[in-house]
Amino acid sequence: MDFKFIPGDIPLPLPTGGLEFLHYIFHGLLVVSWVVHILFINVLLGASLASVYFNKRGARENNPILDRVAYLLTTPVTISENMGALWGVAPLLLISVLYTPLFYSASLMNSPQWLHIIYGNIVAFLCSYLYKYSWNTLRENKGLHITIGTMSVLLFYTLPPVFMATVQLYITPSTWNHGQNFWDALFRADTLFRLAHFYLASFAVSGVFMLLYGYFKRKSSDATDQAAGAILIRTGKAWFIVPTVLNFFIGPLALFHFPNYGLEAFFNHGYHWGILLTVLLALYAIHILVKEFKNDDIPPTKVWKVVIIMVVAIVTMASIRHGMRVALVSPVMAASVAKSEAFQKEAKEAYEAAKQSHLPSTTGPRGRILAEQHGCLGCHGERERVIGPSYAEIAKRAYTPEKILALVRQPVPSNWPEYAQAPMPPMATVPEAELREIANWINGIK
Amino acid sequence: MFDYPIFDMPLIGHRLLFAFDAIIHVFISHGAAVGGSIVLALAQYFAIKDNDHKFDELAYKILFTFFILATAVGALTGIGIWVHVNIINPAAIGALLRVFFWKWFVEWIVFNIEMVFLLWWFLTWQKYPLGTPGKRFHFKLGATYAISSWFTMAIITAILGFMMTPGNWLKSEFPARPDYLASLFNPSWFPSLGFRTFFSIGWAAAAAMVLTWFFTKEDEALREKAIRFFGKILWVSVPLFLLFGYWYYTQFPQAAKDLFAIGAVTRNLASNPILPWMLNLVLAAIALLGGILLYTNPKKAPLAVAIALMVGCMGLLAEFERVREFVRKPYIIYGYMYANGVRVMDVPVLNRDGFLKRATFVPDELKTVTASNKVVAGRALYEMQCRYCHTINGVNAIKDRVKNWDEKAIYSRIGSLNSSATPFMPPFTGTDAERGALAAYLASLNGPAAHAVQH
Repeated sequence: MDFKFIPGDIPLPLPTGGLEFLHYIFHGLLVVSWVVHILFINVLLGASLASVYFNKRGARENNPILDRVAYLLTTPVTISENMGALWGVAPLLLISVLYTPLFYSASLMNSPQWLHIIYGNIVAFLCSYLYKYSWNTLRENKGLHITIGTMSVLLFYTLPPVFMATVQLYITPSTWNHGQNFWDALFRADTLFRLAHFYLASFAVSGVFMLLYGYFKRKSSDATDQAAGAILIRTGKAWFIVPTVLNFFIGPLALFHFPNYGLEAFFNHGYHWGILLTVLLALYAIHILVKEFKNDDIPPTKVWKVVIIMVVAIVTMASIRHGMRVALVSPVMAASVAKSEAFQKEAKEAYEAAKQSHLPSTTGPRGRILAEQHGCLGCHGERERVIGPSYAEIAKRAYTPEKILALVRQPVPSNWPEYAQAPMPPMATVPEAELREIANWINGIK
Repeated sequence: MFDYPIFDMPLIGHRLLFAFDAIIHVFISHGAAVGGSIVLALAQYFAIKDNDHKFDELAYKILFTFFILATAVGALTGIGIWVHVNIINPAAIGALLRVFFWKWFVEWIVFNIEMVFLLWWFLTWQKYPLGTPGKRFHFKLGATYAISSWFTMAIITAILGFMMTPGNWLKSEFPARPDYLASLFNPSWFPSLGFRTFFSIGWAAAAAMVLTWFFTKEDEALREKAIRFFGKILWVSVPLFLLFGYWYYTQFPQAAKDLFAIGAVTRNLASNPILPWMLNLVLAAIALLGGILLYTNPKKAPLAVAIALMVGCMGLLAEFERVREFVRKPYIIYGYMYANGVRVMDVPVLNRDGFLKRATFVPDELKTVTASNKVVAGRALYEMQCRYCHTINGVNAIKDRVKNWDEKAIYSRIGSLNSSATPFMPPFTGTDAERGALAAYLASLNGPAAHAVQH
């Protein structure tokens, strides 16, 4: 596979301290922390949308139970927005250390849009807090309340495209071009199919969550909460089944848009068996829920069965996903490390040669050497005009050393009207003793 | 930074955007999270001790404010610092991650504890009313939150300390091998941690005084008690952070100390040696005056006094961060990497063979400077070496810096960037032909060719 760009790796060792097995720990942590992160994000997207939906329906039908369902759903939103962001940090940390040159290059190509994950997120958080904590205050003003909720939902839904475009871009360095930008990366078939797959999976995961949440609320002693629990259970089943079935079709579309060399490695490693396993598990979960579709008091064993099946399915999917990433990224990372090592070899050679030649070789009056060291000669030539007046010209003014000292510390551009275009900056850090030597050298110039 | 593509933030420059994100993070993380957790856990402790329901309720109101700020803005701008740095200087953050990975990982675990206990403490405050035995347990949630949030600051401070005073951290230069313990226990870690700890406590106490002013309009007795309580915490923390601040200052490299005056104001203003002092004294006076007036006369103090306290503290904190960031120049990791992502050790090879030749994302036709590509190649060099601090025609505009300079003068000046005239600038890195290309590009910005180069 030919790669147009291979950025060099960071010239510092991976933080394994020489313990090779830590590599496996890195990969394990990456998969696990990513699963936790994405589950929170799935629930955040699903629950925030469901809350606004039930809030609106509750207001229209004047139904306090639907209003209760909507309010109950704000608690998982608060928890999952916070925990989702927090658990996003761990995979970000691991990817940044394992695939630094690829991930950071992609973030740069996708900037400034990449910054939306911060600023868009902050506004979404604030809107979602406002939505939650104004529930009673705005009870008589549902229109405004629902608008605030809708804004936070819309904002949350703008974040996955930014993530997906960056993730898809960094794992497919074979697609990079000069002038690569965010919109190109977003409106690519692979990114769009993966994004569709992700949104649908979010609804499905939120469905399982609502099923579980409803099951607990059903056990509550409060009659409203019991009724709300039944609605959550019903909604949860539908939210799980429909998107999961759709994903059976979207999934393959996403998969077959990956670059060929990645797909080849993917099948050679047998990851497709993982897909088969996930599909079978999902079908089994669907089968359970279809059979209990009309039963609001679905037996707890079946609820837990669905939850456990789906956790296994999601961990399998995440491992497959990581397998694809490794397949795509490994050849580039190997080239990146080799490039960095070759560069370091040359850098070492030049560095040592420079060290040798650094021995004092400059000759001439000490004042001139000091003037060169402090960069004075960058602007003042000894006899010719560079930027400021030449030293020969300055010598003609016959300033006392004290005067020169003061002028270096605080220049007076009006003394040299024909040089006023580029006034001299004050130079506070030149030591006084050295300045005197420079001044004496200047005044000695004939 | 020859390994990465370029993102150029027009006009304001990415540096200013980053500073905006970072300073908001510092205001909130130091005030609402680290200092806030300590101050409010103390408040809750005394509310339990005195069985003071009103004081307990006030502490909850303040926590509500801190909670929203810390979770929605503080945590996300914290991640934002990282995202901004990976856009501005991937080489630097990449290096820091390799050296500090496990410390960051531990920090993340503690961050989890912090977040869980914050959510738990905040969401169950009403569940354990004052006077019930559960309240003591509830206090412990707050105390755990406070300890863990301080711990996350301790680790991040180590990384910041490392950037300024890395100490003896490189066991070998080629290949670079870090000493992980020496990096952690770098010379300025403890003093800067002490400084930040007590500044945070003081700043949180000040913020709590201001919030008390807003939350107790109808209850003067509560206002007096609460403002005096938070005020005492403020007075205790002031001498402590000054003491640690002095110790911290003694750890700075001499070259960094020399830049303090410029960092405190700007280079032109610093030519008046009084101004840097004046600015900080005025800020301190505003904060102190506000604090003293609010403390001595809590019932009658007008809003302006509370605002003065807050603005003074924020000014000092922002000034501290600005000075700290500035005096580290020309480095981003002291002695190891320049602010523009070039490793000090790589300078000789880049000067010998050329910078553009190594640049991954520069088109092939620009890798060697020729008479026909000179200006465009110069632009690529500008983007890779100067854009960190300069914009073309906005903040710290390079165009203004070279106004009325001819190409020869610019060429000459590029040769002495890291000198006493501008000791905070990294040297130009590259061959003589590349230096000429950069000069040609910079000259073109104000010249007739200006339109041809800028899109």
